[in-house]
Amino acid sequence: MKKMMIVLLSVLLIAAFGSLAGAKTLKVGLDADPVSLDPHVQLSGGMLQLSHWVFDPLVRWTQKMTFEPRLATKWKRIDDLTMRFYLRKGVKFHSGNPFTAKDVKFTVERLKKSVDFKGLFEPFAGVKIIDDHTVDITTKKPYALLLNMATYIFPMDSKFYSGKDKNGQPKDAIVKIGPSFALNHESGTGPFKVTYREQGVKTVFERFAGYWDKKSPGNVTKMILTPIKEDATRVAALLSGDVDFISPVPPQDFMRIKRDANVNLFTYPGGRIITVQMNEKRRKEFRDVRVRQAIVYAINNAGIVKTIMKGTATVAGQQSPPGYAGHNPACKPRYDLKKARALMKAAGLEKGFTCTMIAPNNRYVNDEKIAQAVVSMLAKINIKVNLKTMPKAQYWDEFDAQVADMQMIGWHSDTEDSGNFSEFLVMCPNKKTGYGQYNSGNYCNPEVDKLTLAAQSETNLKKRAAMLKKIEKILYDDAAFIPFHWQNHSYGARKNLMVKPIINTMNFPYFGDLVIK
Amino acid sequence: MKATWQRFKSSYLLYSFRRDKVAMASFAVLVLLILTGLAAPLVSPYNPYDPSSIDIMNSELPPAWQDAGSRAFLLGTDVQGRDMVSTMIYGLRLSILIGCGAVTLQALIGIFIGLIAGYIGGKVDALLMRLADIQLSFPYLMVAIFISAIFQVAFGIGRYAELAVPLLIVIIGLSEWPVYARTIRASVIGEKNKEYVEAARVIGLNRRLIMVRHILPNTITSVLVISTIQVANAVMSEAALSFLGLGMPVTKPSLGSLIRSGFEYIFSGSWWITIFPGILLVIFVLVINLLGDWLRDVLNPKLYKGA
Repeated sequence: MKKMMIVLLSVLLIAAFGSLAGAKTLKVGLDADPVSLDPHVQLSGGMLQLSHWVFDPLVRWTQKMTFEPRLATKWKRIDDLTMRFYLRKGVKFHSGNPFTAKDVKFTVERLKKSVDFKGLFEPFAGVKIIDDHTVDITTKKPYALLLNMATYIFPMDSKFYSGKDKNGQPKDAIVKIGPSFALNHESGTGPFKVTYREQGVKTVFERFAGYWDKKSPGNVTKMILTPIKEDATRVAALLSGDVDFISPVPPQDFMRIKRDANVNLFTYPGGRIITVQMNEKRRKEFRDVRVRQAIVYAINNAGIVKTIMKGTATVAGQQSPPGYAGHNPACKPRYDLKKARALMKAAGLEKGFTCTMIAPNNRYVNDEKIAQAVVSMLAKINIKVNLKTMPKAQYWDEFDAQVADMQMIGWHSDTEDSGNFSEFLVMCPNKKTGYGQYNSGNYCNPEVDKLTLAAQSETNLKKRAAMLKKIEKILYDDAAFIPFHWQNHSYGARKNLMVKPIINTMNFPYFGDLVIK
Repeated sequence: MKATWQRFKSSYLLYSFRRDKVAMASFAVLVLLILTGLAAPLVSPYNPYDPSSIDIMNSELPPAWQDAGSRAFLLGTDVQGRDMVSTMIYGLRLSILIGCGAVTLQALIGIFIGLIAGYIGGKVDALLMRLADIQLSFPYLMVAIFISAIFQVAFGIGRYAELAVPLLIVIIGLSEWPVYARTIRASVIGEKNKEYVEAARVIGLNRRLIMVRHILPNTITSVLVISTIQVANAVMSEAALSFLGLGMPVTKPSLGSLIRSGFEYIFSGSWWITIFPGILLVIFVLVINLLGDWLRDVLNPKLYKGA
């Protein structure tokens, strides 16, 4: 009996190893857990990452910021308002249902109902089904960013999400807080399906056998996602081999990861610009363009990137990061203390003045330290800054109330386009239209407003880029704000993970295409 | 004046101090630390609170004896490029000021309330002790948020930097007085029915005199012991408040906030940002504790009679 058991166990063991040989398990440690399996519940980086693993968009961004066909194979502009998408054939959802034009229509309509996505999809009029694999997406006005927005359309299985669940609630209900069908059920076309989920503890993904993209080099068969909130713990988990991939990596631990023989560090320039706005309504000094320029000249943002950020950011002289339509190579970072002093002298403010500043202390990477560095840099042109820093929970109320003369804000463009920066950060604040909502500097230049609005409906992309570049140049000459840097995304991974091809500016690692050696 | 000096010279206090080496050493270190703190602008090589003297490019330099270290900065620099030696001296000054100030305030309020509650008793006692309960049930953070919100509305962010020190003394002082009041009250109740108090009452001394001259000296030992702990507590509370944006401005780090800001660098190799201020704080708290211990033994009338 005992012998039989041993034989049986060894057979089982061998069988288990045999099946493991082809299996590649990826263990991922991220700073936060996606809040739901319903991609339309929250507009956040974490939810979009999940969408790329479980669903597939019509088109997606490549590393070069071009569009890559996914569920749409081709697209064509029919007129100023309409874009025709030709959908991929033979694609199946995780539930087994085939993917058709109906699902695209269902998804766009659901997006327009979602509290978080409603705003982004406001310009959209609707979806017209031409045949099973062709759809026309129309906008209310000519809209240049239609393709950018198509990266947000992750078709959901309309059949799977219709009807009522056992509580009598419609299956397609978007519920922020409380139970819903989509909260813990999914059916997408993506490379992974969710097989186990315990909110905040662990999510297990398994590769979808019927995944349409047979060309994808990805060979991950199972992925386990564990949220690890503490920076130091996450790094320790990677170094000890508990997880294979972590993000983000805190800058102070970059050297530790670089030194370790078993792991690699990857960084990728991101699109989040860190700026400080100078309130022209509160301070008459800031109305003088020479003073604003002097301040920008006095800020050694390259030094901040080198020391505080440990090189984990890209020095900025404008809002748009490289790759964006509006990125203007002429707007270079400028640090020149002599020139700053000369400008202050020209403005008659050689003796300087005292002003106040607020910054968050747990929102952006090293935000508090950057703010402190600003204080010492501006002291060199005799501007005394009284700085107060606070946690983000208190910060945004104070920011909106504009309690200080200088206020820090970081911004990532939702549309991955330059226009979005100007609309929120530098257009004249207007309560009615919502433009300039986060412009606490109260910088107001009618020409910038005119160009930003014109760029919204310009569908000729070349002309549009020229407009956006002009905006950057005006802002640069006006020193409308103090630019610091674009934060880099950072990833730590074991050496056998081929991470480089799957990361991008948006911070959406495409794990479906990840190769493990 | 001369008579007082004479009395001090022949007192038991000085006598026992001169025989206790630990007490002498602690006292010397404490005096040294306080003097350094007070004379910070004269002693320290740089002024870390003057932002124009800081260069970000000097950030995170290791102590001078290490390879990348610079002679200009003996114990290295922090992440902003501030000289550690100077920052520690200025931080120590702030910590002494806030710690001792807050403890003095706590002790004054606590002793006053504790004496009255314990000696008079009855309804007064019940009322004062419930007040203490209420105060204890508020975490000091809440008191701090409340007071600093009022301050900020009243004075604006600009003046905040100047008012931070008195504000912190008031916040920490106000939130911890029940610790003293409770202890004093307990010892007063223990003392007030003893023969010497009865005797004092019989010869017709008034209540205030009995409380202050007769009972208080017999309860003071516990005050000294608590004080040593409370100074350390106050320094910690200040560091916590500074992190929340309710304490010292980040451009004027105290010893506590310096240690806290160094935590995240300790694994990454920049150990000096947190270790040196940590050692200084430990020494500071330790000598206060040792002196407190010695003082308790000396002032304890029971031990004195036994000796």
